[in-house]
Formats: sequence, C-alpha cells, structure tokens
Amino acid sequence: MQSVFSKFAKNDYAKYPFLKEAAKYLKIPDLKIEDLATPELEDILKRAEERVEEAILYTRVSRKLEKADNEISSYPVAIILAAATKSSFIQKRYALAEAKQTFEDLKNEKDKPKEKILTFAQDFGWKLALNKDSEITYEFALNFTDYLRNTTHLRGKKWKLVNRLLSDGNVYLTRTETARLLSEEVRKHIEKRVEVKELPRFPPKIIETAEKIKELSAEKIGKAEMEGFPKTVVQAAFPPCIEALYQAVSSGRHLSHVGRFTLTSFLTNIGMSPDNVIELFRTFSDFNERMTRYQVEHIAGERGSRTRYIPPRCETLQTHGVCVNPDELCQKIRHPLTYYRKKVKVAK
Amino acid sequence: MSSQKFTERKFGDYYKGNDVSICVPTSIEKREFGFLLFERGMLRHITFKAKEALESFLRATTCSDVYHSCSYYESPEAEMDRKGWLGADLIFDIDADHIPTSCERVHDGWICGNCSFSGKGIAPKKCPVCGSEKFNIGTWPCEVCLDSAKTETAKLLDLLMRDFGFSEKEVRVFFSGHRGYHVHVENEAIKTLAAVARREMVDYVSGLGLDVFFHGLNEKNWRVMRAYQDIRLDDLGWRKRIALGMQNFILSANEQDLRNIGLRKSIVEAILRNKDAILKSLLETGTWGVIRGVGFETWRKIAEHGVKLQSAKIDTVVTTDIHRLIRLTGTLHGKTGFKKVEFPVLAVDDFDPFKSAVAFKGGTATVFVSDAPEFRLGDEMFGPYRSQKVELPTAAAVLLICKRRAEVLE
Repeated sequence: MQSVFSKFAKNDYAKYPFLKEAAKYLKIPDLKIEDLATPELEDILKRAEERVEEAILYTRVSRKLEKADNEISSYPVAIILAAATKSSFIQKRYALAEAKQTFEDLKNEKDKPKEKILTFAQDFGWKLALNKDSEITYEFALNFTDYLRNTTHLRGKKWKLVNRLLSDGNVYLTRTETARLLSEEVRKHIEKRVEVKELPRFPPKIIETAEKIKELSAEKIGKAEMEGFPKTVVQAAFPPCIEALYQAVSSGRHLSHVGRFTLTSFLTNIGMSPDNVIELFRTFSDFNERMTRYQVEHIAGERGSRTRYIPPRCETLQTHGVCVNPDELCQKIRHPLTYYRKKVKVAK
Repeated sequence: MSSQKFTERKFGDYYKGNDVSICVPTSIEKREFGFLLFERGMLRHITFKAKEALESFLRATTCSDVYHSCSYYESPEAEMDRKGWLGADLIFDIDADHIPTSCERVHDGWICGNCSFSGKGIAPKKCPVCGSEKFNIGTWPCEVCLDSAKTETAKLLDLLMRDFGFSEKEVRVFFSGHRGYHVHVENEAIKTLAAVARREMVDYVSGLGLDVFFHGLNEKNWRVMRAYQDIRLDDLGWRKRIALGMQNFILSANEQDLRNIGLRKSIVEAILRNKDAILKSLLETGTWGVIRGVGFETWRKIAEHGVKLQSAKIDTVVTTDIHRLIRLTGTLHGKTGFKKVEFPVLAVDDFDPFKSAVAFKGGTATVFVSDAPEFRLGDEMFGPYRSQKVELPTAAAVLLICKRRAEVLE
C-alpha cells in the first residue's frame, strides 16, 4: 500500500509549503512575531512580501526552488503579512494565488505525478485512491464527502455531483480534476489561516510592509470594489423568483417556509425595514404579529445571534422549487442579490 | 369525555404500558428533544442523559408527538444560537404529500379557512364560493399513497447503498407513523457535512440538475457512432440508472406516454414498431439508436424521462436542514396514533405499515364517524363510514379521531 505514495523531498515542500510535513524544514520552527524584525530573517521577510505582491499583481506565486529553505520559511511569514494588512481582499487574493499556482504545479508534475497527487491528498486527510477498475476511464477515485467539501461552490454543471460517475461512495476523477480540487483545499486552508480574528501586536517593520502591500493593492484594484444598494427599494429590479414571491404574498397566497425566508431575507438585505416586511405578511389569514415580528427581526439580524441572514443562492432555490421563470440575466448570476445589484445599476 | 381527552388518555396508557419500545438515538446526551403537548404548545431544548430518564418523562407527561434533533450539540439545552453544533445525521423524508397519486380525489378533503366551504381531492387555488386562498387540508394515510411512498423509498435506498456506498448497518429505514417513510444515515464522514453539501446529495437522488450530456449522451458521440454505447445497463451510477429508466419506459410506454414527453407522431410510431429491436439491441450490445429516423433529440428526451422515473421523490427541505427535529422511533404520531417503526432495509418490499405500526392492541370504543374512506388495520377492513355511530377497536377509533373524522361517544 505504502508504495503508491511518493516520498516528498525538500524541493517538493518548497513547492507546496502549506503541507503539514513542510514544517520540519522551517528555519525557525517556533517563529515568534518579534523574531520577524531580526536582520537574519530579512531575506525571508523580503521573499514573503514578494509572495503577497505577486498574488495581488498576477494571481500566481512563483516558486524559487533554488533557495528551498528560504522558500519554505517565507510561506508562514507571508501568511502573517496577509493577516497584518487586515484586508479581506488581499487575504482572499493570496489564498487564491497560492491555490492557482498549486493547480498548475500539480497538473504539470513530471516525476511520478499520480503518486505525488496521492501523497499531497493524504496530507490533507483525503480518501483518494487510484482507480483500479479497468472498465472506468478515470485515473482517480475520491470519497464523495471529500468531493463535496471542495466542489459545492464551484461553477459549472460538470462539478455537480449528479453529473458525475458515483459508485460505492467514490466519485471518479481525471488527474486534472483531482489537481483542481486539491487546489480548492489549499485555497480554503490558507483562507482559514489568514483570517485571524485577534491580531497580535506587530513590530513596526511588519506594519510598514503591510502598508506597502495595501498601497499596491489599492493601485491595482482601484476603488471600484463593493458598491452598496440604493436607499429605496426598486421593485422593477427584483429577480423573477423574488417578484413571484412578492406577488404571492401581496395577494395573501400561501408561501412555503423556504419562500418566506427567501423573500424576507432578500427584502431586509436590500434595505426594507422589518416593519415594512411585517406589513406585507399581514394579508395572511394565519398572520400572527408577534411571531412574524420575531422571525423577521431574527432574519434581519436584530435579534438572537445578530447575524443578518442573506437569501439562499440560486442553486438552493432551484432545489426547493422557489426558482421560477429565470430570464436572461439569471443565466449570468448565481445569487438573487447579485441580480438585483446588476439590474439596479443598469436602471440607473 | 371529549375526543381529545380520550386520545390523550390512550396515548398516556401506551407510554405507561409494557408494549412501548422507544429506540433512542445514539449519543442521546448530545441531542435536543422536543415535545408537542395535547394542550397546545411545544416544549423544546430538553435533554436527557440516558434512555431511562426519557422514558420516565414520557410516562409523566403525555405528549401528542415526540421529537429529537438529527443534530449533535455541545449544549443541547441552550438556545439555538448557543447550542454549539457538532454535526448531524443525514435524514431523508419521503412523504406521500410530495407524490401525486390517483386516489387523493377519493380520500383527501379540504375546507376553506374563510367560509368553511368544503370539497374532495386536492384543494383548488381559490375557494369557489368566497375566493379565499387559504385551506385546511385533510389527508389520509391510505395504502395506495403509502405504497407509492414506499416505491420512492426503495429507489432512495438503492441510490444510497449502491452509489453513495453506505452499508446496511449505516442506513436505517422507518415508517413515519403517518403518510411516509424516513431514512436515517449515521456515518462519521457524513456527520459534519454542511447544508450545501447535503443539498448536492438531495439533487443527486432526485436527479435535479442532471444533464445527460455528462453521462455520455451528447451530439458528438452521436455523430461519430450513430449510436450510444455510453449509457449501458451494466454501467454504474446514474449511467446505469438512465439506461434502466429508458429501458423501462420503452418497455411499457404506449403512444400517449411517448407523445407526453414531446415526441412527434411519426417518431412515436417508429419507436412502437421497433420496440423489440430497440430492447434487443440494448440487451445484446448495449447500444441505443439503432432505429432509422429516430435521432439524437428523441433519445435525449427519452433519457431525460428515464431520469424522472429513476429519481427518488423526497422532501428537499428536511435533508438540508441540519438542525431538524425528527420523530423519535417507537413514539406515536399525533395525527394517527400509529407509531414510528423501524424495519430492515432488505424487507422494504414486504413491510406492512398498517400491521407493524399499530400501537393500540385490544379494547374498543364507540365513535360517531362523520366521513371516512375504507381502510385496513392488520387483517381487518373497516368503513367506508358516513355520519354513523360505530363500535371500533381502539386503534381504529384513535386513528379516526386523530384524523378529525370522528368524535368519541362514551
């Protein structure tokens, strides 16, 4: 059994420094935040800065295998830098860039590629095996739970489980597909690591570098990010599913639980006040103000956990039969709020 | 004695008696319990350290329905936001309400919530008298409906075991006590799956979003081979299921069935004329498309219909809700007085809910029945009844009272 896995060398860990096993090559195993300012680590800090900058500029992170030790050690430092920028855009971008690079590298492994993929997958605890059934033309078989954990947000019909060959708990995959899913695992892994809730106090050197990175990202990306919704509710920009729910509720017709939740969360997200939403439900014959208020305010994030709920995305609405009469714009979006945002913009 | 008091007393007797066999979920201490009381209202966020504590609670408090969470929590007694979700079993609910059957006209009824006008069958969109759109629906746990639910359950079990690879030990199947079946899957890898991942499983078993293109049925293959060899009966997963669905459909379809899936008259005739050749070719060489004049689009439509036939019609909301409360096995259903019972996966075809789920043995009661269709309990037939006084075994009396079709008379 052991023979199907390929033993990774130091160079492999320089390529894939986020693997658990890479830790044994770190120059300073127990890196403290204060250590980062020491002159001995200057090279590593510089390389770490480069990693994040490349991510912002090219959505890739080059691999400098000739200095394998520095390369491996620069990865955790890059994580600290990305965290220190406190910008979720930069953090996500860094995770994405490392993931994309990994996809390329895994796909193009020349020496024992299948074995390398198996070893890589094992590091993340995947149940991945080589396909032994000669009747099936795929190279890999992956346990469906590992598959689902890494595909549920991927675009494209081909990733939907129902469109895959699934048998005896295994989803069959080509080598490229396996590499793609492993890179998703890398993206999730890094995103989790950089999203630190409570940041330590950073030495001035780190803060300075983080500022530099932020400036670069501002230049590159511009300030076009994240526009809010208009102040008033624009009914003409409702997606067909919401419009149908809205019509139903206005005429007092019965709505499913999912339907009520979708409509309420949509309306509170585009700025309708809970009071106005409650008024809408008043036409129901089983209307109960206390109950409705409790639920609407809960969804709006004014009660309980204070989380404001967002409506389910299109796929979920399809599953529960809420998606009706999709139009042309629906083909281009995956979430009813995106539909609204886009249509409002056009209307302006 | 009022009908409600009568039912309440019978339910109480059941939980105090010797016939009760509650089957508690694994890790009982991590589950939330919920109880629906006869006197309206629900007790929630209740916890028990062990089965004995739960049983003595049930003896002391008479409930119409008893539930436990499919989820495991750090503090199951806390409010929803503070429970600390640890995971959840995978649950499927197959309810006759989601499967249209021909008998609904006979036994279901509706009453307008506004003017009390009533009728038989599926409720109309609007009340013909007052135009209101709110109805109280009266369903009935009938043999035909439950049989169709059982057919869907059998398809689901096959999907779970063959395609998802769950073992007989991990998959458990139950009669819900009313109009359907529950399937529970307990498995370590499944436990922590998020709602989105469960939704993908729902889509898989219900064939939602399936594009036959990805299962070998595409125009490119067609042009190259003029025939399909990719969808085969000896294949795996949905490929095999599509082939089976196509085979079954071709085998049994009449002219109208074929027209209903949008095929032209001339094509329908060509298919019917060559039925044997099509099926023979499929069995012997695993090839579709041997008939001249029947092209890609036709096969695509037949394949898509095959998907519909092979998919399992489940309640999509239940499976994706990772906080769901589900009925406790061995407890009574407030709408029937039947108990939720487990039966072996392999015995799904032979399982008889009207025998196994009967909770009240012995005794009789006299009731006045307003309206009830013919029904069976065990080996005995009852009804139909209409505005009449009748002495019935306790189980039958409780069923009619719970379904609001009768009032107790003594």
